[in-house]
Amino acid sequence: MRILLVGMNHRTAPLELRERLAVDDPAAPLQKLVAETEIDEAVLFSTCNRVELVVVTRSVEAARLCLRGFFARELGARSGIDDMSQYLYEYLDGDAMRHVLRVASSLDSMVVGEPQILGQTKDAFQRANECKAAGPLLGRLFQHAFATAKRVRTETGIAERPVSVARVAVDLARQIFEELGDKRAVLVGAGEMIEMALGALRGAGLRSVSVVNRTPERALELAARFGATAHALDELAALVAEADVILSCIGGERPILTVPLVQQARRGRHRQPLFVIDIGVPRNADPELDSLDDVYLYDIDDLSSLARENAEQRQRESARAEAIVEEERQRFDGWLMALRAVPTIKHLRERAESIRSAELERALRRPSLKGVDPEALDQLTRSMVNKILHAPVSRLRREAEREEGMAYLEAARVLFGLDDDSPAEDE
Amino acid sequence: MAILLHQATAALYLLAGIVAWLGLALGARRLERGSVAILTLGGALHLVAFGALHALDPPPPLTDLPIAISYMACVGVLFFLLLSQWARLAGLVVGVAPVAFVSTFAGALRLHDVAGETLGRAGTLPHAHVLLASAGLACLGLAGLAGLLFLAEHRRLKAKRPLGFRFDLPSLEALDRVNLLSLVVGFPLLTLGVVTGAIWVDAVEGRFWSGSQHEIWSVLAWFIYAAVVAARFGAAQGARTAAASAVVGFIFLTFAVIGVGVFV
Repeated sequence: MRILLVGMNHRTAPLELRERLAVDDPAAPLQKLVAETEIDEAVLFSTCNRVELVVVTRSVEAARLCLRGFFARELGARSGIDDMSQYLYEYLDGDAMRHVLRVASSLDSMVVGEPQILGQTKDAFQRANECKAAGPLLGRLFQHAFATAKRVRTETGIAERPVSVARVAVDLARQIFEELGDKRAVLVGAGEMIEMALGALRGAGLRSVSVVNRTPERALELAARFGATAHALDELAALVAEADVILSCIGGERPILTVPLVQQARRGRHRQPLFVIDIGVPRNADPELDSLDDVYLYDIDDLSSLARENAEQRQRESARAEAIVEEERQRFDGWLMALRAVPTIKHLRERAESIRSAELERALRRPSLKGVDPEALDQLTRSMVNKILHAPVSRLRREAEREEGMAYLEAARVLFGLDDDSPAEDE
Repeated sequence: MAILLHQATAALYLLAGIVAWLGLALGARRLERGSVAILTLGGALHLVAFGALHALDPPPPLTDLPIAISYMACVGVLFFLLLSQWARLAGLVVGVAPVAFVSTFAGALRLHDVAGETLGRAGTLPHAHVLLASAGLACLGLAGLAGLLFLAEHRRLKAKRPLGFRFDLPSLEALDRVNLLSLVVGFPLLTLGVVTGAIWVDAVEGRFWSGSQHEIWSVLAWFIYAAVVAARFGAAQGARTAAASAVVGFIFLTFAVIGVGVFV
């Protein structure tokens, strides 16, 4: 049994191609693959960053042709590209296993350590399982991949630090405030950046939000969408007085959040920290605000710089994660190789059992053994056979996990005459 | 038995500290939670250990400095665990557990020497003084620790530096609340400690003020804390200044209670 993976991802294919190749319902193509070809098991993995097919096959060549044909036929037609091979990569056996483990562990993602990929991998396997395309081998591989991803997450810091500006802002808010649920936020502006950051803050538990904008219509629209209240720009000072978080991204030549405005507005709020996130360019907040003790001002450069440092940290952690993936791949490889011993062990046990039962039957016919309890004799011989076979069978299982284990399996077949046609009891 | 319990408590605190530091080094949240659980076990055993000490006949005097410090550690740990119920304070175990270990270990060593000693004619006043003043000192120590961490975190956030390690540190808001609550509980206890101390002096010497170095420095420390409390509740003090005051106050108080006996 061989494992083959053919696919494309964000490194090999441009976004315009990937978005046209997304497979919403993998059931039909998977069933077709398993039913009509040399492929025994298959899982189709399709996200915005990758389309991959991983299969179990007895004939690599036939499977390769089939998978490449699948990409050309099913996906090429949709994308209008005749030759898909330039975008495709291929991994076989150990490399394919490693790739699946890396994908589930988010080491092959565009943003290393992003959390969604594990859920998407589980979903892809679930769908393949539902349409009976995934079998015991891919089942075991994917379960192993999920466990590896969990290990990577727990033992390394690959997913610890946020790498997007919005997430960095949320992370900082958590370092300043104990709970975000009871905090008040003021959004100055109503553009796309504000919307993105608001989504992240909302996700972190922030509830009370006021939107301030020069154009009231846009403020009303954004406020309605996020369950916030809309205000005119001249209400800013009153809102700052009550705010814990200010998120600002509004056009204008001069800063609108000045030191006198903030000082005046917060006169009665001593010891209450104020987190100002200024993602406007030019800046909306006077940099001098940061000199106020209880004000923590972060502009777009500060946030980007933290995001970059976090991304570098994730890269450093990814080296440790790769080591875990390699260790787990070897473990899975060992399990897979140990499967080679199964037919030999089965054959050996069957041969021993046939000899035992034939000899037992012959013995029980002898007059000298008349009166002996056949049940006891059956039990005795069964126990003897099991004990004799225990050591060689255990050794075979152990050795089969290694590359050179084949020699032991062949030796066992020769020594026990497993490939001979003549029945053992006649020898 | 009491000595054995103290030793076991010290071992648990040491273990909590090791687990907390391991969690810090490896960034493992499970270890972080484990360190809190071990510290809780240590705190509970510490209470039992003091119960066993009290049951001795005669009970050893709490006025002995290492034993008083061990008691302080017990109150500090329990107060810390209480505050941990409503704030993310698990990250502070890296500081609390080692301090608790050293204090308890020193107390356990000293117990051998003081067994059999009695308090003399002052009755229970010395115990009351030590119990109250040490509990106050423990709470104010926690305020100092929270203040120290607040200053470090404030500095880091102002400098726009990322966290140097993967650990869930308490938020600035939580540290400020710990500072405030520790002050609210610690200052009245310290005040009662000073008052019972004066009554104890009166019981022994027939006057409230003997003019000893310990008394002078303790009263000075009390005035400093009175000023800290007045600034915190009466004036428009920012969280950073409050944190710095808590640190300075505790350094002074530690010198007044422990340092004076050693250096002056």
